[in-house]
Amino acid sequence: MGVAAKVGIGCAGVLALVLPQFLNTFWISLLIQILVFGLLALSADLLIGHTGLFPLGHAALLAVAAYTTAILEVRHAIPTLLAAPAGVAVAVFFSLIFGVAVRTSGVYFILVTLAFGHIVWGVLLRWSSFTGGDNGVGNVPAPTFGPISFPTLSSYYYLALAVVVVCTAAYRVLVRSPFGLTLRGIRESESRMRALGYNVVAHKYAAFVVSGLFAGIAGVLYIYWNRFVSPATTTLVISAEATLMAIIGGTGTIFGPFIGSAIILVIRNYVSGFLVQWMTVMGLVFIATVLWAPDGLLGLARRYRARRARDATSPDMASLPKR
Amino acid sequence: MDQYAVEAVNLSKAFGGVHAVDGVSIAVPPGQRRALIGPNGAGKTTLFNCLTGSMSPSAGRIMLFGKDVTSVAEHRRTAMGIGRTFQITNVFHDLTVVENVLLALQGTSRRKWVFHRSMDFFRSNWERAGAELERVGLAGRASDTVGSLSYGERRQLELALALASTPRVLLLDEPASGLSPGERKRIAEILAELQREITIVFIEHDMSVVLGLADKVTVLHRGRAIMEGTPDEVKASREIQEIYLGNV
Repeated sequence: MGVAAKVGIGCAGVLALVLPQFLNTFWISLLIQILVFGLLALSADLLIGHTGLFPLGHAALLAVAAYTTAILEVRHAIPTLLAAPAGVAVAVFFSLIFGVAVRTSGVYFILVTLAFGHIVWGVLLRWSSFTGGDNGVGNVPAPTFGPISFPTLSSYYYLALAVVVVCTAAYRVLVRSPFGLTLRGIRESESRMRALGYNVVAHKYAAFVVSGLFAGIAGVLYIYWNRFVSPATTTLVISAEATLMAIIGGTGTIFGPFIGSAIILVIRNYVSGFLVQWMTVMGLVFIATVLWAPDGLLGLARRYRARRARDATSPDMASLPKR
Repeated sequence: MDQYAVEAVNLSKAFGGVHAVDGVSIAVPPGQRRALIGPNGAGKTTLFNCLTGSMSPSAGRIMLFGKDVTSVAEHRRTAMGIGRTFQITNVFHDLTVVENVLLALQGTSRRKWVFHRSMDFFRSNWERAGAELERVGLAGRASDTVGSLSYGERRQLELALALASTPRVLLLDEPASGLSPGERKRIAEILAELQREITIVFIEHDMSVVLGLADKVTVLHRGRAIMEGTPDEVKASREIQEIYLGNV
């Protein structure tokens, strides 16, 4: 990691800690949302950037975690310490089932995950006696651990930040491990990986379940931020946005998904406040990404750095003797 | 009788109505260098794909050190000792050269599942990867991405990947194809230096490589094994000359 990157991360860390003291609740709420969906995008990026699979149903994993925690808290008064892990566990359970999608690849994987997402959405909508139907589940209490509670947005912001930082650190270890390298090998050439002795499907399945774990954590963070969850959280739009966040920020990176999350959510929540055509802005961002930064913003930065390094080492053309 | 290292018994593979491999029996004793030759479409690569398990045969059996592996998955056969290279270079394009070899090294160990430690933790693997790259002459390019390698260097890496998984049976699909004479010589030298514990089956069109390395040659034509003999016998055969010149 370069000095500039370290300074950048340090500044971002200080800002993340200090900034909420100077912001109103709208912006604090937006920051939490960026963290939550950044984590969802990061979980999707384990499949996109590292394994080479495009999931289009990750909102469903977030939603089942959110619903589980919400129902346990609201209807059964289960304490956060149990309700939150239960939400994550249910998300992992669903990803164990949805994980069979890894037996397919390419566009079929996209379609199978899309179908799974729609099944969850349909069940949440129709099984109204259990899920509340269109009304969803609301009035979720603030997360409380014994005597410690996080009732205000700014206090919850710090809790969410801590959880996201820990998850991101764990994720970073994971992608730099032998297992992480294995996933990138699968992304590059499945046939070669099989010839080298890898059970490709097993590794992809494991990646899917780990991805589901992080998506589940994002779901629990989501429910304690929003205090309400409805089938709208499960729609294709949310799943697609998680994928787009990773792509805009830079796939296969640690911070890319969070940068992408910030860009998309600021457009949706802030720009939409004064620009009716905010959807057009979003569309332009997507098109610009595809045209000029297919590796995302961080990929763009990396390419720019590589070019600078090359220019610095190659001889200065002007100083060469003329013919 | 000693068991064979690798053996195909009455092996057939049909794609629709096309019999790419049609009742081939071939048995390679341990340590032998066996060349597979034959014109394009003779079924050489298909035979390889059946031996490694990337294709399942339509009929027949495959034995590896006396064990029937016909229905054993490809990655398990690798764990049992098969290694291969691909005719069309099949390496990890966006990874660095050393990462390519590291993947080959951890493929046959449980280490590939380790998720809580950084790659940097496994120093011995990095050292072994360095040694493998040294062997094929790529040590100087360890930290470059494959995308920046020349075609010849990629072929060398292709071979390094197969060797790094420490196979007992090595299947090489045209290891020298498309290389310059100098690079060809280098590959031939690397292969000649391999210990005799490794059994080698290789497909090759370049007769100088075949004659230099092979103990025995099997000739495939239209999916059938039509001849088996020493390189000199095969070279002297009128029938083989006619097949290659297209007079049959």
